Amino acid sequence: MDTIPIRSIREIPPEENMLSGTPACAGCGGLLTLRHCLKALGEKIVIVNAASCFTLLSIYPFTPFKNSWLYTAMACAPAGAQGVRDALDILIKKGKLDPEEDLKVVVLTGDGSAYDMGLSSTSGAIYRNLDFYYICYDNEAYGNTGFQQSGATPFASRTATSPPGGARPTGAQLQKKDLFEIWNSHRPPYLATISPAYPVDLVNKFRKAEQYKGPKLFISHSSCPPGWGFDPSHSVSLAKLAVETGIWPLKESVHGKVEHTFVPKKFKPVEDYLKEQERFAHLFKPVRQEDILKSIQETVNEYWRKHKLLS
Amino acid sequence: MLRLRFHGRGGQGAKVASRVLGTAAFLDGYNVQDFPLYGAEKRGAPITAFTRISRENIMERGVISDPDIVIVIDETLLSDPKAMPLSGLKKGGVVFVNTPQSPLESKERYSITDHVITLDLTKIGLDMIGKPVLSSLAAAVASRIAGIGEDALRDALEKELSGIISDRGILEKNTEAALYCYDAVVPVQMKTTESIREGENVINIPFETARVSSPAINATGNTPLRRTGNWRVFRPVWDYDLCTRCMTCVARCPEGCIQVNEDGYPYADYENCKGCLICARECPAKAINDVREMHSQSEEGEL
Repeated sequence: MDTIPIRSIREIPPEENMLSGTPACAGCGGLLTLRHCLKALGEKIVIVNAASCFTLLSIYPFTPFKNSWLYTAMACAPAGAQGVRDALDILIKKGKLDPEEDLKVVVLTGDGSAYDMGLSSTSGAIYRNLDFYYICYDNEAYGNTGFQQSGATPFASRTATSPPGGARPTGAQLQKKDLFEIWNSHRPPYLATISPAYPVDLVNKFRKAEQYKGPKLFISHSSCPPGWGFDPSHSVSLAKLAVETGIWPLKESVHGKVEHTFVPKKFKPVEDYLKEQERFAHLFKPVRQEDILKSIQETVNEYWRKHKLLS
Repeated sequence: MLRLRFHGRGGQGAKVASRVLGTAAFLDGYNVQDFPLYGAEKRGAPITAFTRISRENIMERGVISDPDIVIVIDETLLSDPKAMPLSGLKKGGVVFVNTPQSPLESKERYSITDHVITLDLTKIGLDMIGKPVLSSLAAAVASRIAGIGEDALRDALEKELSGIISDRGILEKNTEAALYCYDAVVPVQMKTTESIREGENVINIPFETARVSSPAINATGNTPLRRTGNWRVFRPVWDYDLCTRCMTCVARCPEGCIQVNEDGYPYADYENCKGCLICARECPAKAINDVREMHSQSEEGEL
């Protein structure tokens, strides 16, 4: 595989390894991420998919994939990946599978599985140094069932289970878990955050990850038109705003050492991102909740100060 | 008892429409049930919701398989073998179709023998609310057909929408547009019989062991056969005089529906493009326009 980084969208592999006609919502940011991930990974993969929006991609008798696909329960996709990897290894060892025909094992889950239910089986897989890829598309709630709060839901977001109003005008009371740091504490060979709005960065990260044996983990911020409450056409511009405001840092970690792959020259105010979404509308109407907006901005500033990328 | 079934696509408002109708009927003094068919919620996927209205106590439970009134919020569902909106409709029942066509045209096109009422809700939604969100409009039409009073509808809209819509102005636009639809529909005398329509094709599948009955998909990449193109309200159309062949639209399409021709100009696979219009918004040259779809005016919603 070519390891020279690509520079523009013109160099993204033209092959489509996931075809159109999926049941995903129009303008799904997670689907755009997955499309580019599969371009980078190629055809020779097996996807192990935990219960999530994307389990609906393959519904009998249809599949958008050219590769094999296995459905697991929400908590155990990495365990399923271990089984598939072991089976492939045994077949190769017994001479029943040409090593040239080996497949990459790719776990695909939403944030509900990655941040909450599947966290322990992922920890186990990284701990065992399982040779696999993990793609988490993080739309910051349980989107498939009507947008209930998950461990990935950011502070102050409206979800079906954190409606703002009355005694709790804030929306979600809890801060988003830092899954990148949780995973990074295991010192995996490769770990990165990605965004559907930055496909060049995304493809290059997959190319870089290719050289490492062991867990290669990716978390993609994934704009969600029905859950976040915005017009589907804004999906990419919102994902981009999340990066430009500093809310979603693009970074990678090699054996635990973290580098940021894109730092905005000047950070946009978080408000630019929040005000575009119905899930944060209660922060602006009917009364502007100044203290909440300030605290969200301060959390972002603190992150970048900690990494010495903001004075 | 009056049984209504709503058919729409996720995001259009079928579920909320059935809820608003239920509340309106309740406020009008009836006993009521309203509920959607539980399924994974997806924008664009077929959605079914139900409302039962009665002067008596309602002891019936579960989905409505023999409706008196069917409200079709998305016309393309009429030819969708999975949605089958007309399935089980009682003889003498009423079908409402959201379409720019006349009732007679719809009857012929979809071979409907029952009473058909049509109204272009999508156009009314776009003109009066600014968005093709049709919950309050469909609720208004259903209320009129079911014989629910205007005041009850108005109160139900306030009660149900104020929890979902934070912007007071948008709520008022919804109410205004709903009342417009309420007045635009001519009420009909309805006499339904319990007899089931002929030609219903129900297949009973016997119980099999997991190894036999587990669905294994042995094909690759066959979702394009599903043809999600009928989800669109607007279609992207390229102006090649302005296009710089920069590939932005190709990279931004979540579906991978945009390809380039021999000369490097992009074009969309309209059979599966869902009309998210990310391409139009992201195009640096502003070379992509959005054009309102008129599915009904062409063959199978292709053009």
